[in-house]
Amino acid sequence: MSELIDILLGDSADTRNRPLEDFCDTADVGSLLAECAELDRFRREHANLYERVRALFFLHAIHRFHLPSKESFETAGSIPFQGHESLLERRYGEAIDAFLLTQDRQGPNAVISSALAEAYHRLAFQTLANQVRRSVRSVRGNQWMFRVGHSADHPLRIQPRLLKKDLSTGLFPIIAETTAVRMDLTHSAWSDIFFLGMDYPAGARVLNISIDLCVHGTGEPRPPVEAYVRVIDEPILRLCSVDLETSAEIQSIGEVFDFAKDYLGLLKAAVIASGIIPPGIESSRQTLEELLARIAGPDRGIEVVSKVNNIPKGSRLAVSTNLLGCLVSACMRATGQVGSLEGPLDENERRIVASRAILGEWIGGSGGGWQDSGGVWPGIKLIEGVEANKDDPEYGVSKGRLLPRHHIFPTEEIPPGSRRKLEESLVLVHGGMAQDVGPILEMVTEKYLLRSASEWKARQDAIRLLDQMIAALKQGNIEQVGRLTQQNFDGPLKAIIPWATNEYTEAIIEQVDEEFGNDFWGFWMLGGMAGGGMGFLFAPWKRLEAQKRLGEILQANKTRLESALPFAMDPVTYEFSINENGTSATLRNGSDALLPTSYYQTTLPKLLRQENHKLTPTRQSELDQVRKASLSNIELAQALIDKSQSAKNTSSNVTQRSLDQALGSNGFDPAQHEQIRADIKAGRIGLAQNRLPPNTLIQDVPLEELINATEATEQLPKEWEQAGQEALTSGKVAVVTLAGGAGSRWTRGAGVVKALHPFAQFGGRHRNFLEVHLAKTLRSSNLSGTDIPHVATTSYLTQKPIETWLQESESTLHLSPGRYVGLRTVPTIRDLRFHWEETPQQILDEQAQKMQESLRGALLDWARNTGEGTDYRDNLPLQCMHPVGHWYEIPNLLRNGVLARLLDEHPDLEYLLVHNIDTLGTDLSPSLLGAHILSGNDLTFEVIRRNLEDRGGGLAKINGQNRIIEGLAMPHEECEFDLSWYNTLTNWVSISGLLRFFQLEKTDLSNEDRVALAIRKASDRMPTYVTLKDVKKRWGRGQEDIFPVAQFEKLWGDMSALSGIHCGYLSVPRMRGQQLKEPAQLDGWLRDGSAAFVDSLCKW
Amino acid sequence: MKVRKAVITAGSPDQRNLPLQTLIDGDGTEKTVLQILVEEALRANVEEVAIIVQPGDETTFSKVVPEHAHRLRFIPQEEPRGYGHALSLGREFVGDESFLHLVGDHLYVSSGKRGCAEHLVRTAEEQGCAVSAVQATRENLLPYFGTVGGRCHAGHQDLYEIDTVLEKPTPTLAEQELIVPGIRAGHYLCFFGMHVLTPMVLELLTEKLEEPDTRPTLSEALNQLAQREKYLALVMQDNRYDVGIKYGLLTAQLDVALNGQDRDEVLNRMLTLLAQRESR
Repeated sequence: MSELIDILLGDSADTRNRPLEDFCDTADVGSLLAECAELDRFRREHANLYERVRALFFLHAIHRFHLPSKESFETAGSIPFQGHESLLERRYGEAIDAFLLTQDRQGPNAVISSALAEAYHRLAFQTLANQVRRSVRSVRGNQWMFRVGHSADHPLRIQPRLLKKDLSTGLFPIIAETTAVRMDLTHSAWSDIFFLGMDYPAGARVLNISIDLCVHGTGEPRPPVEAYVRVIDEPILRLCSVDLETSAEIQSIGEVFDFAKDYLGLLKAAVIASGIIPPGIESSRQTLEELLARIAGPDRGIEVVSKVNNIPKGSRLAVSTNLLGCLVSACMRATGQVGSLEGPLDENERRIVASRAILGEWIGGSGGGWQDSGGVWPGIKLIEGVEANKDDPEYGVSKGRLLPRHHIFPTEEIPPGSRRKLEESLVLVHGGMAQDVGPILEMVTEKYLLRSASEWKARQDAIRLLDQMIAALKQGNIEQVGRLTQQNFDGPLKAIIPWATNEYTEAIIEQVDEEFGNDFWGFWMLGGMAGGGMGFLFAPWKRLEAQKRLGEILQANKTRLESALPFAMDPVTYEFSINENGTSATLRNGSDALLPTSYYQTTLPKLLRQENHKLTPTRQSELDQVRKASLSNIELAQALIDKSQSAKNTSSNVTQRSLDQALGSNGFDPAQHEQIRADIKAGRIGLAQNRLPPNTLIQDVPLEELINATEATEQLPKEWEQAGQEALTSGKVAVVTLAGGAGSRWTRGAGVVKALHPFAQFGGRHRNFLEVHLAKTLRSSNLSGTDIPHVATTSYLTQKPIETWLQESESTLHLSPGRYVGLRTVPTIRDLRFHWEETPQQILDEQAQKMQESLRGALLDWARNTGEGTDYRDNLPLQCMHPVGHWYEIPNLLRNGVLARLLDEHPDLEYLLVHNIDTLGTDLSPSLLGAHILSGNDLTFEVIRRNLEDRGGGLAKINGQNRIIEGLAMPHEECEFDLSWYNTLTNWVSISGLLRFFQLEKTDLSNEDRVALAIRKASDRMPTYVTLKDVKKRWGRGQEDIFPVAQFEKLWGDMSALSGIHCGYLSVPRMRGQQLKEPAQLDGWLRDGSAAFVDSLCKW
Repeated sequence: MKVRKAVITAGSPDQRNLPLQTLIDGDGTEKTVLQILVEEALRANVEEVAIIVQPGDETTFSKVVPEHAHRLRFIPQEEPRGYGHALSLGREFVGDESFLHLVGDHLYVSSGKRGCAEHLVRTAEEQGCAVSAVQATRENLLPYFGTVGGRCHAGHQDLYEIDTVLEKPTPTLAEQELIVPGIRAGHYLCFFGMHVLTPMVLELLTEKLEEPDTRPTLSEALNQLAQREKYLALVMQDNRYDVGIKYGLLTAQLDVALNGQDRDEVLNRMLTLLAQRESR
């Protein structure tokens, strides 16, 4: 039997917990492939879901890490387009079959393994996610909602008390629910991920505390989330989020399920998950009016209002899950599913509310951990995974139940004194960073299932630390709690996920530690990663001082790093107290039956504009009551006046002025912009026009037509090394790092400088991309005994931050500022549709896909209403402008005088190594430089064997000519899959050839007009591509919207298509040419040895 | 155990005329709802029937059942404290005997020769315990009924041992507490409006009524009963009709007629009516 299947099915825990690398590190290619065949058969035939999933993760790891690391493993191969399509459509099983067939035909190789690794990985997560969803649906108490398909089937009724208007005021009563949020004291190594809890219930344990909160300086802590439900006398569903200042009057069932149409997705999810509009009724063609009549009576409707009390998004305190719980609880009270209209819930009710909140998150296309609805429970509790028994729907499928068990610590166990001490020691903060924890949670799941030795040990350590923390809390020893949370962060958490921390967090901890010494008891990471919600424990006598200083330290570090790391907002510190109620409600009657002041701030202006007779009787009574209340409540009156005044002020003009200034000072060419805009509107350029004609002959380039440099350096021709070494020693080479781009995939359009992102630790601390490139140049300088100049090209977006960083870091770097900038435009409907419908798109899971389709409808409306092809100005100036493609970055060197200066300072300079900011493995390899010199090329592009993730063009024979082709110029998507070589964008440039192309002499470089004219002439020969980029627009308290906007680009690779410049191609090893495009790649990059390879090229 | 007595509740202020509604019984004679109910009880070998009525209704009610007047006893419900209170007023009448209980606004139509009450009483006498007639009911009707949860009674396909009784539960609660093996998904065992109860039930109701201003439901008392003594549910395959709801009486009449001696005539009339409507 297979050794790995032995691990999967092992009787003893020791066998089952044996790390995969134990076997794979020493196994040869043949035995690894044999194991893969066994594992694939096992995952198809075996009944147990979790063992199947583990087999899938084994397969992923072998194909992703272990096979490619074996020296004898073939590197050449290709990926079938049909498999790629299946991947995009989430038909992972079919994709695997297609890839395996190709593997049989071609023989095993690294290229097809990259595709198999991805497909197995995705199938594993799809299987797990489907299982969680099935469990959510099958929880008793949730099932009936999926059976209701007609209004007449609806079994819920609004509680009679809510249907009775107060005779004196004419108002319906209101359920007012308030709920705590939760903080997780122990973290327990992300053990609250559903998959972990369901597979390893014994290891899924967290210490979870319900808290009230307020931002420091804004009053006393109170329950952070509130929900209100009442009957209204219109047959509609009225939803209002007062903190997002949005409301909607919903008149059809379809609108309830349209989550992305507005900012009311969470309220809609609550209305659905609470059973008011049960999920089974979607697409049933029923009218909302009939359904509401059934549950609330004829001509009656329901209003649901949510309110978050000034807690910013991304707090890591599960605000949205607890708000969902709060809304669900209020809706369930209104429909009698919770016994009482007032007061806290009982345990059974809390559990059903929590399961409905999980259901709501699933319906809304998001998802949290199982401890997130902890705010529904009171006080301090231990939440633990529970083994499934035969009465549970999970029995036989997973080891654990979906819903955990909550043990609320009574005061006999954790006395009031301990709770008070915790309140007196802890400073809670929001560091302000915008974060995407999704990739981290995937990494945790994968590592857990692979049982990698160090991570498995770390998980056991975290479990032990939890018990110690509970003991310390029971004893009231908060100092010990602090030491343990710090130990947990430094030990298990960083061991499992090194990316959970970052330079920002580390700097803050270091400064706090320095400043407060022994009075700083420990740091505590809240949620998935550090940088957002965080806790710092201090000696109580230092807490107030520490709270003040921490605010300053956070702000100073944020200012220092805000160009490098994505921040959604300024840091804040909180006041908090332990909430001993969980979720709780009151019933407002008579003249008290009014909604919060902020509700009226949002809705009143619109109501007052309506004629009185158009308002329903209850609305009229309500306005009358608000009027009466504002006579006696001066704060209410003041708030309403303030709001109407602030609506009149606008900062829009200021933004427009600064955008025009920024455009003016960054080389914006209005005439060119006007032309491009006209071309876009007229359809002369656009996404469809980016493509080469369909009859273009595109062929793969055989290895023989490239300079083959894929072998280890010592096996490359000696004369290459000699020529390169000689050029290096005699100062003939400079490095140019392209750092002008926005790095939009890295930060999803957050507008920070990727070059400055301290993405990983080298030499004992976090380093940014530029530091890594400089360290490689330093090593080459030391080896060659010369001072090799290093240039970074910048743009309007990156120039200033890089300049500031340079001053602080005292690094030696020449900056080549951008001289061209564009203004983004609102995309055309044609381009949006082309992008979504004509190019293969990743299909999401069922609910997320629904969300996406709804969002796309909203974006089409936005483009239509704003004006297709009009200037995009509705954002910060830097987000409205765009770099015009990396083609301009080399001509910029000519135009801004940097090349002339370099030639002055280094008269022997003949060659440039130009590379992108994210190609970390590139260095001044003497052999490759020598290959370029000896080839006599003007430009030599480095290419690598194309793996699955290498999308966006490459080397091809186009109508008989070898050249680089961009992905967006491919006539058909599948063409790319016939090409073996991916363009790394690293290229060696002979300066003389470059100048010849531009028809310039070295002496012309000082003549600005001549250079500008030369560039314009060359630019006219370059194709212009229209692309869509996602741009973030921030608003409110940490809220973000993402808009696809149009921009144009000219790309450097197209130089290879022009006459008058001689280009060649070097095939290089993958580690040298691969690019880091997304943070989600980091963990694989660390694990597959790439990080160590980069480190070996550096001198720190 | 021998069931000799029956209690019919007909004291609801807004339904006081329902027992007086008339329809044609299966034997072709015109009868009131009350008359049919009393006869249903008597068919089950009950000897005495107490009817809980609104004060002042005694004479009217006694007139509509003249042939059985000697077996009837009317008990007025002086305080409007609901259904549970009404039933509790039968305590003195019942004494320490188990009794049949029917609700005055329902009609029961048996598809077999044996009456519904007769079937229930025989089962209770055989089992020697309280038995409630129940029917598998779709979850959308839960807002109208008391509902039971329990497990199969060994050796009997149509009997369940009741663990829990909830009055008009939400489907959320029903799914958690009242799932019964062998019943179709989305269906629950809801009361049929007919029970054989032990005196303990009346004791429990009386206890609850000692608290002022309470309006205990029968379901609450039955839930307690399930914790104290053996209590079974008998699944009825027959039909029951709430004559208090829209078209309730009409539907009941049709079912009674279609099960009675005038079946062909009624069918004929219905078909003629339909044909005439269609041809217009």
